[in-house]
Amino acid sequence: MYKILALLLCLTYVTALEKVNNQLINKNVERSIDLTTQLVKITSTITLENTGRESVRNFLLVLEPNTVGNVSYSNVKDSLKDDLKIVRIEVDNQKDKTFYNVLLKQPLDAGRVTTVVLEEVLTKSLIPFPSSITQKEKQLKTEVSLSSRTVENYTKLKPVVQSDSTITYGPYGTIQPFTQDEMIIHYENNAPFLTVTRLERSIEISHWGNIAVEENIQIRHTGAKLKGPFSRYDYQRDTGTAHHSIKSYRTILPASAHSVYYRDSNGNISTSTVRPRKEWIELELRPRFPLFGGWQSSYTLGYSVPSYQYLFKNPSGEYVLNMRIIDHVFDDMHVEELETAIVLPVGVSDIKLNTPYEVERLGDEITYKYLDNIGRTVIKLRKTNLVEQHIQDLEITYNWKPHLLLHEPILLSIALFLSFVCVIIYVRLDFSLSKSEHSKKE
Amino acid sequence: MLGFGKKGPTQTQNAEKQETLLTLSILTLAAILSPLFSSFTTIITYLLTKEVKNAGAGLVAAAFVSIVPGYISRSVAGSYDNEGIAIFCMLLTYYTWIKAVKTGTILWGTLTALAYFYMVSSWGGYVFLINLIPLHVLTLMATGRFSHRIYIAYSTLYCVGTILSMQISFVGFQPVQSSEHMLALGVFGLCQIVAFVDYIRSKLSKNDFETLYTFLIYTVGILAITVGGVLTLSGKISPWTGRFYSLLDPSYAKNHIPIIASVSEHQPTSWSSFYFDLQILVFLFPAVVTLLLISYTFHCTWVTSEAYSSPSIVLSARSHDGGRIIFDDFREAYYWLKMNTPEDARIMSWWDYGYQITAMANRTILVDNNTWNNTHISRVGQAMASSEEKAYEIMKELDVDYVLVIFGGLTGYSSDDINKFLWMVRIGGSTDRGAHIKEWDYYSSNGEFRVDKEGSQTLLNCLMYKMCYYRFGQVYTEGGKPPGYDRVRAAEIGNKDFELDVLEEAYTTEHWLVRIYKVKDLPNRGV
Repeated sequence: MYKILALLLCLTYVTALEKVNNQLINKNVERSIDLTTQLVKITSTITLENTGRESVRNFLLVLEPNTVGNVSYSNVKDSLKDDLKIVRIEVDNQKDKTFYNVLLKQPLDAGRVTTVVLEEVLTKSLIPFPSSITQKEKQLKTEVSLSSRTVENYTKLKPVVQSDSTITYGPYGTIQPFTQDEMIIHYENNAPFLTVTRLERSIEISHWGNIAVEENIQIRHTGAKLKGPFSRYDYQRDTGTAHHSIKSYRTILPASAHSVYYRDSNGNISTSTVRPRKEWIELELRPRFPLFGGWQSSYTLGYSVPSYQYLFKNPSGEYVLNMRIIDHVFDDMHVEELETAIVLPVGVSDIKLNTPYEVERLGDEITYKYLDNIGRTVIKLRKTNLVEQHIQDLEITYNWKPHLLLHEPILLSIALFLSFVCVIIYVRLDFSLSKSEHSKKE
Repeated sequence: MLGFGKKGPTQTQNAEKQETLLTLSILTLAAILSPLFSSFTTIITYLLTKEVKNAGAGLVAAAFVSIVPGYISRSVAGSYDNEGIAIFCMLLTYYTWIKAVKTGTILWGTLTALAYFYMVSSWGGYVFLINLIPLHVLTLMATGRFSHRIYIAYSTLYCVGTILSMQISFVGFQPVQSSEHMLALGVFGLCQIVAFVDYIRSKLSKNDFETLYTFLIYTVGILAITVGGVLTLSGKISPWTGRFYSLLDPSYAKNHIPIIASVSEHQPTSWSSFYFDLQILVFLFPAVVTLLLISYTFHCTWVTSEAYSSPSIVLSARSHDGGRIIFDDFREAYYWLKMNTPEDARIMSWWDYGYQITAMANRTILVDNNTWNNTHISRVGQAMASSEEKAYEIMKELDVDYVLVIFGGLTGYSSDDINKFLWMVRIGGSTDRGAHIKEWDYYSSNGEFRVDKEGSQTLLNCLMYKMCYYRFGQVYTEGGKPPGYDRVRAAEIGNKDFELDVLEEAYTTEHWLVRIYKVKDLPNRGV
């Protein structure tokens, strides 16, 4: 149960980029930590006060040292709910800490106060304890804010109050910069702990009017591991909803999606339901078997969407594709590794890529489809540790000539034509060494 | 051909990556191969019949072969098997043979040999061909229609064909050693003699010829018997195989080799399935042929769509309200094995499921549908038929990690392991190491095979019984029946409250069709 999360956010600001400005103080910090799902969602409302003499344009954020690898997503909004730009930097004399520089839209004048909202999503911060349980036991987690009233134990740093499913710490008085304290909460959490260990998303563009999307998904139940036997009899008798095993989940597809398939290496998985809604298509996916702690499964989900909704031609004659880098797999999802491949049409040039956040671009590849003799460029992107907030559009711009659409039909026609010509020539030739008996009779 | 089913762990990944101008994976190719070859079959049937009679007859024959249910069942998309190709090869050989006989050219004779080689490489049933063609030649000889054309055709076919067929490692030296091929060799020799005699006859006077003839007959006859006898005694000519005996005496296999008898294909066709395939055509053929043909066509279409096109891996049933229930338990279990067991796990199951587990679960199995190693199968049969402690020894000896059984008691699926169990007992008891397993121990005192309280104690406490019925005694399966009511055997099970000592339930599918158990580790010393 030794997962540590620092309670205090250390906030400072600088005039020069590398130095911590001691004139900017956190007048008030309210943190709400949501632990109802498998993710830790932290929303901090910070009131900044400029006690110096000059106005400031930016401030520094520092991460708790032991959560650095767990932060999947972070975002700062100002009081007008506009996103602020965040850049990672290093600070002199504080090399061991991870700093982010946040640029304010409006400079903060001396003596003035402003409010910013910091949103963070942490993955892998909830550790099951005990780490393996039998089929009938409940899943307990060690960490910070709660989903049920069953709280086994929590860190008592006074003042602290527990009411229903909320634990309130503080208020605490003046705190020195870079102070931190750990918080451990042990509570029941039967929310699905489902992790996508690897997601391969492939987007294939056809200028005939279709975009085919295929996702190869590997999932694993990352909650407490199942200990001992699995009993189908007990499983069928136990109809309680708050069970730690995962029977099914919902995936949301775009409203225009059609030709949906759900299968694995053994063929179609017959247990899925498609429910069209007004704004989207809801897919109820049931893996072949219920997932218990430590069990894994994998499947392929594919569908097609019409290209006019995602592919445009800009005034300068270039084509622009706007599609999601990653799409919804299930609510409160956590994706460990994502690899997106975009298969562009035959003969594209001047490819420009624009992503909403930082992704690793792998080397371009060339793939061959039916009757393909030129090959198609494949753009490959990779990113680790993703959550729902990463469902955003990427933009690809490229040049392409419409006559290439006819490349394959013409190729096929020529091949057929040539084979007919060969036959025509062949039947007109006489290869016999001597005249056959039949022709003599004639 | 493409070796399929017996591959290392990366089989599917490799298959996906083979891309050319036409992107075709091996799996896709395997799936469409049978329909492709069956369409070739209709073409070759047309050509064959046209050669024998005329184009009209050819069309009728082609129409017939395209709707024969027995052939359709072997050639639906996805049924990747030798027969799908072999029927085409066989008809191709007949066609080229008739062409060779008609033209008497070496070209057609060689083509026949090539077609024959293709047949040999695709299916063990080539033996049928290499006996039928010599029989044809022999008949022609007996009826006095032997000619130079037949001499050329057969000599070319036999020489080229035999040399080619010996290149197949499975065949090897059989064409000159085994008794199944002796007819072909004998007829070949006879051809040479007859041709030689014809030649001598045309050169000699009648009296001289007859003297020579009598002398040769006696000499060659005595020589052949002596050589044949010596070779048989020294084992150079293999003794008649089991398959040959079972042709002469259908009960031979049943009495001597239980594994041959247990395969459903080796059991005599029941009258119902004969009717299923041929319908009223059997009785009323001479009557209104056209009408019958139409009805037959409809019937064939129905049989094809209902019986042969539905995958046997997914079972379906009708519920009370007429809805369709799908039992996808096999794939559920195999996928569970693939995903949630160590990659090197060894799985023990009855051999029927061996190929399925290899292909769909990608795990190592002990015995599979290649039933060649029947002592090993016998060992598995012994484990299934023994008590838990005895079975544990066998399972540890065989390094088993998981055991898989098929159980139909909850759904009423009748081809489950309990119904096959007597075969396991028989096969288990057929070898020396399984001498302690006796079929009669598994029958009740009245000599019946029962799973209820009347059943024999040996049966009620063997591993197979316990794995199938573990915790089943608490389940209500049918209204008005006590818990633990087996819907296949229509009986309440006789041994309900028991725990497993050496196994633990690892997974059971939704409808209990497949149950997987994990073999526990040996207990620590001193515990």
